[in-house]
Amino acid sequence: MNSGGCDHLSAFKEEKGIEPFRIIFSYFISCCSRESRKRKALALQCHTCRQMSPRLHSCLHCVFFGCFGAKHIHQHAKSKNHELSMDLTYGAILCRVCSDYVYDREIEELFRTQQRKSALLLGMLNPFSPWEPSEMEVELLHQNPKRRKIDGNSTIGLRGLINLGNTCFMNCIVQALTHTPLLRDYFLSDQHKCQMTQESQQCLVCEMSRLFQEFYSGVRTPHTPYRLLHLVWTHARHLAGYEQQDAHEFLIAALDVIHQHCKASRNKEDADGNTAQVCDCIIDRIFTGGLQSDVTCQECNILYTFRLEMSPRLSTPSGISPWISAPRKTTLHLVSWSDPCATDSHTLISAVFSNGLDRFEEATSLTYCLRRFTRPEHLGSTAKIKCSKCHNYQESTKQLTMKKLPLVACFHLKRFEHSTGYHKKISTYVSFPEELDMTPFMSASRDNNNGYSHQVIQEAASGLTSENKYSLYAVVNHRGTADTGHYTCFIRQHKSHWFRCEDHLITKASLDYEVLKSEGYLLFYHKQILDYE
Amino acid sequence: MADSEFQAIQDRKVRDEQMRNMINRKLVESGERERLKELLRERLIECGWRDQLKAHCKDVVRQKGLENITVDDLVAEITPKGRSLVPDQVKKELLQRIRSFLASQTNI
Ligand SMILES: [Zn+2]
Ligand SMILES: [Zn+2]
Ligand SMILES: [Zn+2]
Ligand SMILES: [Zn+2]
Ligand SMILES: [Zn+2]
Ligand SMILES: [Zn+2]
Repeated sequence: MNSGGCDHLSAFKEEKGIEPFRIIFSYFISCCSRESRKRKALALQCHTCRQMSPRLHSCLHCVFFGCFGAKHIHQHAKSKNHELSMDLTYGAILCRVCSDYVYDREIEELFRTQQRKSALLLGMLNPFSPWEPSEMEVELLHQNPKRRKIDGNSTIGLRGLINLGNTCFMNCIVQALTHTPLLRDYFLSDQHKCQMTQESQQCLVCEMSRLFQEFYSGVRTPHTPYRLLHLVWTHARHLAGYEQQDAHEFLIAALDVIHQHCKASRNKEDADGNTAQVCDCIIDRIFTGGLQSDVTCQECNILYTFRLEMSPRLSTPSGISPWISAPRKTTLHLVSWSDPCATDSHTLISAVFSNGLDRFEEATSLTYCLRRFTRPEHLGSTAKIKCSKCHNYQESTKQLTMKKLPLVACFHLKRFEHSTGYHKKISTYVSFPEELDMTPFMSASRDNNNGYSHQVIQEAASGLTSENKYSLYAVVNHRGTADTGHYTCFIRQHKSHWFRCEDHLITKASLDYEVLKSEGYLLFYHKQILDYE
Repeated sequence: MADSEFQAIQDRKVRDEQMRNMINRKLVESGERERLKELLRERLIECGWRDQLKAHCKDVVRQKGLENITVDDLVAEITPKGRSLVPDQVKKELLQRIRSFLASQTNI
């Protein structure tokens, strides 16, 4: 194999320049107009056997297409003594004399430009291109010759965490976050550019970077996360102290502080002077999705559609945090938001969940909770909306659906009830799947006659629409009562190995017999398919 | 085999071939072929196929030495493994996409 071109190719370029390559490429590989695609469709066949063969090559010396499989291009090259030809799928250049493909930087660069142009015209905004190290990265790779290969059985990334006195709530969240694939990729590829340059010791994102380094360094002894604890205490004062805290509250606080530190000094306004709608920090890119709320006035049937951000980072009442809730009973979340379309931007107050005790027997699965979350709900006389068509306060029907799925969906099963005077824990088993399809809960599945369109549910069942599928990768559990208890978690390593983490102890776990049978408190799912943005 | 039977099989072959060429042309002409290629590429990356195959290629090249192997040797060596590693789910999805594309082309 020759990665540096060959004399034959150099001689050809010397004589004819780069133009012949551009012409063939733009007419027969990456077309930039419907006209040229049409021409290409008619021309793409072997001149010897008349087949539209998969590996067609074009001679670079004359007008001839020949297939590779039946060696018609080889025969032509030999009989005519034509040295070079080009593969019409990828644009690779074949040299007959060298009997192999040869490569040339200038030509490849030309092709890439052409390819981007053509992809853009077909509506593909960001077609895949493989990672190529920059000059600086090549330099770094040379300076640091040590490589670590991580195979499917490697335990790198597994590390226990010392309990610093009731800090198991933090340890669990740290385990879940360090095993979030997209966060791991972000931190291990060193993408955080610190915004708190004066005081980066205070930056929680920098601390997370160090934590990821610790986790993936290959060291097997437990890590002591005292710096992290200290930073959390500094930035989220309500969590300070050595009492047991709620793991969910810690997650919200941690994500929010990381979000703030990501954009500490950045201008929060866009060019028009508007506050940016959706934050583009790594936390929001991963955890934030969008909800759609459709409210129908009972009186005049007019439909109002609202968009809401959903993120575990946002806490009530400005968003829906715990956005999935209640395995049981009357958790009433008040959510308020303003209607961006209405001129008098009034505020709607409504109940997201208002389910009576009678329903709790059914609430034994995550999918049930999701179905309940997204089904149309009648808002009675206590939650009237001001309809801008009939200019009056009216009863209405509301349905929440998912407009934009987050890359990571974190479900919080509300097991704790805190009222004045008593704390209570609900230990009901709620089943959750390893693989979760969100298609039925999407806004696109919403049918105008209230409910979901039949077809979508069937499609989802047949497993063909995989775009909205999620995989479970971490589960946080709570053992004990509302007042005293202990947090542990299960995390997934690689594709299918599960481990149980209890502070400094890490043991192998079975997905079917332990993880899925556990009394889940926080469930972490990541999207199987990522849209390239 | 009777002559007429032989003729029927021949006719069928020709018709299949014409059909295949026509479908191919439609796919190229509409740009759908490029979109499908991109979809396939994404799916194969996501399921780890690309990484697995890349690792396999590296092993083969290391074993034989970069100087003693041609692209074609490499293609021949990895094709069986490459084919067998494509998940059924991906094949199904692609087939489904091609089907619905053809269904949307009224003039076939
Ligand atoms: Zn041929
Ligand atoms: Zn020729
Ligand atoms: Zn050559
Ligand atoms: Zn920082
Ligand atoms: Zn943010
Ligand atoms: Zn009305």
